[in-house]
Amino acid sequence: MNSPEARTLESATAAFVSFTPQGTMTPVNAGSVPDNKTRRYDRQLRLWAASGQNALESARVLVISGSATSTSILKNLVLPGIGHFTILDAEKVTPEDAGNNFFLHQSSIGKSRAEEAVKYLAELNDSVESVADTSTLANIILKDPTYLASFTLVIAHNMSTLDLVPLSTLLWENAHNKPNPSPPLIVIRSAGFLAEFAVQFHEHTIIDSHTEALPSLRIDKPFPDLETHALALEFENMDLTDHGHVPYVVILVRALHEWKQKHDGSPPKTYAEKKEFKSQLTNMKKKIDEENFDEAVAQAYRAWTATSVPREIEALFSDPACTNVTSESTPFFLLLHALSHYTRRTGLLPLSSTLPDMKSDTTSYIHLQNLYKTRAREELEDFAKVVSGVLDEVNAPQELRTTVEGLIDEFVRNAHGLKVMRGRRWGDDDDGALLAAIASYPAHVATHLALSALYSFEKSQGRYPTIGSADDLGAMTAWVRERLGKAGWVEEPDPEPQNAGIEVDAEDEEDEDAPEPEPTFWKRVQNALGEVARAPTSDLPTTAAFLGGLVAQEAIKLVTKQYVPLEGVCVVDLVASTTGVITV
Amino acid sequence: MAEVVAPNQPSGDWQGKYYHVDQVLETPGPRTSDAFAAGDQVKGFLRNQSKILVIGAGGLGCEILANLALMGFKDIHVIDMDTIDISNLNRQFLFRPKDVGKPKATVAAEFVMQRVPGVTVTPYYGKIQDKDDDYYMQFNIVVCGLDSVEARRWINATLVNLVDESNPDSLKPLIDGGTEGFKGQARVIFPGVTSCYECSLDMLNKPVAFPICTIANTPRLPEHCIEWASVLEWPRVHGSKKLDTDDPEHITWLYNIASTRAQEFKIEGVTWALTQGVVKNIIPAIASTNAIIAASCCNEAFKLATQCAPYLNNYFMFIGTEGIYSYTFEHQRRPECPVCGGETIDVQIGKEWTLEKLMEWLLEKQDIQIKKPSLSTDGKPLYYQGPPQLEEATRPNLEKLLSDLVPNEGEISVTSTSLPFTLTLRVTYT
Ligand SMILES: [Zn+2]
Repeated sequence: MNSPEARTLESATAAFVSFTPQGTMTPVNAGSVPDNKTRRYDRQLRLWAASGQNALESARVLVISGSATSTSILKNLVLPGIGHFTILDAEKVTPEDAGNNFFLHQSSIGKSRAEEAVKYLAELNDSVESVADTSTLANIILKDPTYLASFTLVIAHNMSTLDLVPLSTLLWENAHNKPNPSPPLIVIRSAGFLAEFAVQFHEHTIIDSHTEALPSLRIDKPFPDLETHALALEFENMDLTDHGHVPYVVILVRALHEWKQKHDGSPPKTYAEKKEFKSQLTNMKKKIDEENFDEAVAQAYRAWTATSVPREIEALFSDPACTNVTSESTPFFLLLHALSHYTRRTGLLPLSSTLPDMKSDTTSYIHLQNLYKTRAREELEDFAKVVSGVLDEVNAPQELRTTVEGLIDEFVRNAHGLKVMRGRRWGDDDDGALLAAIASYPAHVATHLALSALYSFEKSQGRYPTIGSADDLGAMTAWVRERLGKAGWVEEPDPEPQNAGIEVDAEDEEDEDAPEPEPTFWKRVQNALGEVARAPTSDLPTTAAFLGGLVAQEAIKLVTKQYVPLEGVCVVDLVASTTGVITV
Repeated sequence: MAEVVAPNQPSGDWQGKYYHVDQVLETPGPRTSDAFAAGDQVKGFLRNQSKILVIGAGGLGCEILANLALMGFKDIHVIDMDTIDISNLNRQFLFRPKDVGKPKATVAAEFVMQRVPGVTVTPYYGKIQDKDDDYYMQFNIVVCGLDSVEARRWINATLVNLVDESNPDSLKPLIDGGTEGFKGQARVIFPGVTSCYECSLDMLNKPVAFPICTIANTPRLPEHCIEWASVLEWPRVHGSKKLDTDDPEHITWLYNIASTRAQEFKIEGVTWALTQGVVKNIIPAIASTNAIIAASCCNEAFKLATQCAPYLNNYFMFIGTEGIYSYTFEHQRRPECPVCGGETIDVQIGKEWTLEKLMEWLLEKQDIQIKKPSLSTDGKPLYYQGPPQLEEATRPNLEKLLSDLVPNEGEISVTSTSLPFTLTLRVTYT
């Protein structure tokens, strides 16, 4: 497949890697057969490159409990080479545990669950450091509050509410501690076919979001060398071969220039004008089959799309962390601050040096590519001066300065896809958000409420519901009713049975094709609660494996600071084979 | 909780082993259909009677085998023709460095049997095409975790052809998974009933193909230089010696040739890794995405086998690059699907088309994509790829105008050795 994601292959491998004696990946001009480590990780380096791999290898993750879901997540982090993992679990392996967990064995029964799970996970990758910790969380929090701060990420599956509340509070409140801030937390809950998880974090910034948006080619605002080049070409006097090889970028710059001269300096605006502009392009053809002109017509929108700072990027400039920078600021915000200064002066993001492929001959294309590269280098140097000024202003210490300067190149290359995410504290739902979510995603909210009811039950009763118990289902149902009532939810009336009071022919064929009526929200809640009551303590292997993949993807995105992680609560319903994201 | 094996447990089972799975097998959920036979009956079918085939023991296959074993499938068969490579180890978790070079199917089967007592995994190290209809008839469900489009088209067509309306057992549900980077999809196919793999061929992204004239005359990208090295220079220099893209020395040779050409044209960016990526058509792959898709496939297999919950109808698409996005929908059958639809495809073509042009069009067209087709009309060969005498005899037709070979509204049968089906085209000239 040839998706934009796969096309990042070029950028991932252009700076391919070798390893220093310490094992850190460093970009080199790789012209030789890669070493074993590079070969082992080849299929993932083509996604997150050496920088992502280094981040992953520096990460330390703590997973609380050795459940099937926990080991499934860890498997997907150990294989790509996470730096370190600890399993914290004071329990012994039960016969039930050995039955649903691929990283335990029948012979593990009766032994420490942390130790057994670590043993079988560590086999997957020799370069990963692992620890089995058999203490209890409560003990750890009491004895050594700095313990948690030694990790990059904490993951908790089906943790008792009584443990989860102090854990999430501690991590949230110490997130800005110096010098050891507390890490983000992923909270996962699952029962049978249903599951949900959320990430608790304060702030997450991304330079390389792998956005599918393309940077501007500045057709409408050509830089001087590009414009000079486009205007100097003598289309009339070219032979047919050369004429058929003028890159569409040059054709568009030239055609727009001529258009503007005839239209008081304005680009095509109305539909009619755009159409006329396109026929102007077609009229430039010397032969009917000149594909470069066909490309120009197809890309004509670039001529009337004004190049400016994208709105999403502009919005980041007003973030308080961007406006007020100090020597304590992160490299990202120092760079963003510099970018806001830079764009205020230029009205544009620094030029990207990547030129897409287009119909052309080698000489014309490479010439054009060099124009872009040269200009991009000039703008990068200009931006670097602004960065330097910002670093002077905040009296940045040398170490910070070096880090920031080392990021300039990557920052400029990805400037059109920068992201700042502000996360939330794990905890109770907001009433208004809950009602809004019910309106938009009733099925996902129903699942979320059913799992919340399960853990509310666990908290108040000190035990999980008994499998199939009608009383316990009743208690959970009552909890959801009360929760919805508190939020101000009003039950919609049951829909009138479609054919009430009318004699229906049992053979009526239309019945079969009639779509099933959408269940009411309350019906969806009952469905989800019924599913939870059916399997309240089941860590189903397939659900565990599904979560293992989802959570590991999020962990990788958080740790590498590449791609865009989850915002909100991810809800999984493997009866309906759906996932969804809700903000509650 | 007893830690001793109860006397009435089948071998490899112990009290409590299925505690987690049994919760959903002992009682129906609110959305479970009436066909569900909760309790011993469904457990007995799953564990003692059902027989499931896994195609592929790679990134998805390893995950699928482990999941099926834990869910209680006890008679599992697996087919894979590959051996283990070091680049598999970042995700194919049943393999270790010591296994490099060994057959995937065998190593995976042994590993799963060792880790999950009581399950039998029967490996076959070879091609799916080696097996006949009788072989495929023995399974209840087929789960497919392949990266090859060709192989999936073959198994899909084979299972559709297997359907005998008088024998309900001949309908083998096919569950198909696929991944690329952070994205993937899982689907359930009832051959002949729901949309099949061939029905959705146009959903695949078009493979990158660089025009030969670009490669030969106007290279612009490093990829063009690499293609020049592999497509034009390799055969020119090495004659009939085949390029082995798994041989690092061959890649190094291509890299050197491509680099020289790139320097000559002042093109930047040829690297060893890019060379390997282009010539092997490497698709990025990670353990986590495979886990999601394999779990989805096995969840559907389990629901199909047990009826404990409704199964996917019929397509689950997942994208993890920007947040978590998935879309579950019913993909529709294509009436003109050459595999399950059988309707003749009407094509309008220009009078100036030669037979060769039609063959290029067949390869290019997203919903057909037939490599090396053989064509006939009215039982007479138009162009056959083989045997050599027939190829030679029909070759002159390639340059002829199609309208001289096939009358208006005439039908053309298209076959390919790699695909077990015939496509019928009805041509009208414009
Ligand atoms: Zn079909």
